[in-house]
Amino acid sequence: MRSLFTVIAFTIKDMVKRKSFIVSNLIILLIIIIGFNVPKFLSGITSEATKVTVLDNEDIFEGRLDTLHDQFLELGYEVEIDKTSTREQVQEKVQNGEVSSAIILTEANNSLHFEYLIDGMGVGTTVPTDVISAIQLTYQNMQLAKLGIPEDKLPTLNTQSNISVTSLSSDESSSNIFVMMLLSIVLFYAIYFYAYQVSSAITVEKTSRIIETLVTSTSPRIIVLGKTIGIGLVGIAQTLLLILVAIICANVFLPAETAQMIFEMLQLSPQMIGIIAVYYLLGYSLYAMLYALTGSTVSKPEEVQSANGPVAILAVIGFYLSYFTMMNPTSSLNEIAALVPISSPFCMPFRVMMGLSSTNEILLSIVILIVTIILVAHISIKIYSSAILNYGEKVNLKKMFKMYKSKD
Amino acid sequence: MGLKVQNVSKTFGKKLAVDNISFEMNKPGVFGLLGTNGAGKSTTIRMILGILKKDSGRITWNGKEVERKYVNFGYLPEERGIYPKIKICDQLMYLAKLKGMKKKEAKEAMNFWLKRLEVEEYRDLPAEKLSKGNQQKIQFITAVLHNPELLVIDEPFSGLDPINTELLKSAILELVEKGTYIIMSSHQMASIEEFCTDILILNRGKTILQGNLKEIKESYKANRVELITKVDVSREIQEEGLKIIKELDNQYEIAINDEMQAQNLLKRLISKNIEVEKIEVKKPSLNDIFIEKVGDK
Repeated sequence: MRSLFTVIAFTIKDMVKRKSFIVSNLIILLIIIIGFNVPKFLSGITSEATKVTVLDNEDIFEGRLDTLHDQFLELGYEVEIDKTSTREQVQEKVQNGEVSSAIILTEANNSLHFEYLIDGMGVGTTVPTDVISAIQLTYQNMQLAKLGIPEDKLPTLNTQSNISVTSLSSDESSSNIFVMMLLSIVLFYAIYFYAYQVSSAITVEKTSRIIETLVTSTSPRIIVLGKTIGIGLVGIAQTLLLILVAIICANVFLPAETAQMIFEMLQLSPQMIGIIAVYYLLGYSLYAMLYALTGSTVSKPEEVQSANGPVAILAVIGFYLSYFTMMNPTSSLNEIAALVPISSPFCMPFRVMMGLSSTNEILLSIVILIVTIILVAHISIKIYSSAILNYGEKVNLKKMFKMYKSKD
Repeated sequence: MGLKVQNVSKTFGKKLAVDNISFEMNKPGVFGLLGTNGAGKSTTIRMILGILKKDSGRITWNGKEVERKYVNFGYLPEERGIYPKIKICDQLMYLAKLKGMKKKEAKEAMNFWLKRLEVEEYRDLPAEKLSKGNQQKIQFITAVLHNPELLVIDEPFSGLDPINTELLKSAILELVEKGTYIIMSSHQMASIEEFCTDILILNRGKTILQGNLKEIKESYKANRVELITKVDVSREIQEEGLKIIKELDNQYEIAINDEMQAQNLLKRLISKNIEVEKIEVKKPSLNDIFIEKVGDK
């Protein structure tokens, strides 16, 4: 037991001291901080109202447009109503940059014509349709008033239908399919990334030949388990750190309403958090054990990619089986994906959140996953014990089988 | 007491790697395990250390079947291995702790050995920054740091310069004085002759010679003469009907069948008033014995 703690402590220390680990963490933290500042940054850019001149030199509106000033400001436009200039003068103002654009109003046959002047249509340049709509509405009201409809009755002609959505499910988050799909992707990357680290750690010991010294000090079982637990703990700590930083950033940098909206969208019940944690740990354990096996068969660093290939393929199949069946979560294929060990860690949390799996199904899925992990761990440790002394000759499936059958 | 290897065999598939070997070490000292590449030395060592399971036979330490938890092993494998990117002190501490040492005693032992092997200045450097020789000294420290009762060293001097070789030799002798049982595997016969009291020579998994090194050498008759003269005496040697094995600047190595041939040669040289600086009748060296036993097979 003491040896196991020694291996775990050494693995953690080795991993967190690596330059690549420190740099990648700093980059992720920086991305989180920048990401949460993007809305603030964008609102900072757009907070200054866009200056637009509306030319009404025919006095079509008889001064009524002046009353829309505040409404335009709310829409993000500082609108100057010009009743005296000529078209050429307004055009010059746009070209000089005094205003960003101009709308020239003309009337013919009781129809309002808009001419929109802008210096150049660049990326992100849009026609101020909100301003045009507001002017259009004012014009319509003027026309209706001319027909004798009293002004106080006009709003009733412009009523809009309101749609209210009522969720019949008691779980507010159950309808949030996209949040859960996103969570499945995060789960896949977290599981895959940390499990791969187990392979790297074992490969370093194998290729640097330190392994022969290690196995005279402790058993292969302790080494494999110690590495798996150590890297898993680093993974949990790193994930918690990133979540904590994200929460702090959301509170500090986002407007209160936006932060509240995000938290509500991502709100998970303690039960759901438990399910995600269980599947994260089990999924990680399964793939870590598979990677321990392939990592121990490597003799030279350049063989790492090809040796780990089969596990990577399994992981990708598992993920896509889960991900694509999420589009149709009630399909039997999605039910199967939630039970198959290579895909269940990415699929079952999604089904639980959607309220699609019964307790029995969840338990069955966990039991299948645990039994598979024990089986894979048994085979991996057995092959690892033989493979660590194998140098030179490439280890194929036949050889792995022989190693498994050997007494060593 | 000590290490006892009895009728141990090991096969890999259809290949018999070690065939029924037996030997024992009753007292502290250095036991020489010799053989060509692929003779079965590493397999034997790995079975003693419990890394590989034997097919048959018994390996006991102080009467108990050898197991990692019962024997305080030290092992310097032939293929050197240390963590390339981890600081020397960190990896030594890790390996010492795995061997069951507490932090304080591990630190004391580490300080002692780093100083003893003159590598103290590298303690905070990653192993990849050290020269091959210094890496080897670090690897030796990993094998002896926890004060093992049984130490297995495979080619301990390969890659070391003469000064560091002497440094390591003196450290090995100190360990023997302290009561450590050492199994040394090497191709450097001079080192084996210098340290080992008993040897075992393996060839294709089989024992072809074993016993006390002194007794083995005693059992061989003198077979050559080393002769140094002031002048060229190759004609006189041929007149005596002897074969020159090596000749360089009036220094000769001559093959003989018995000591009388050497005496006759000396008489001939004296009769011709030839000044003889050195003449020595020699028994076969371990190298000769090894080549005789293994080379022809």
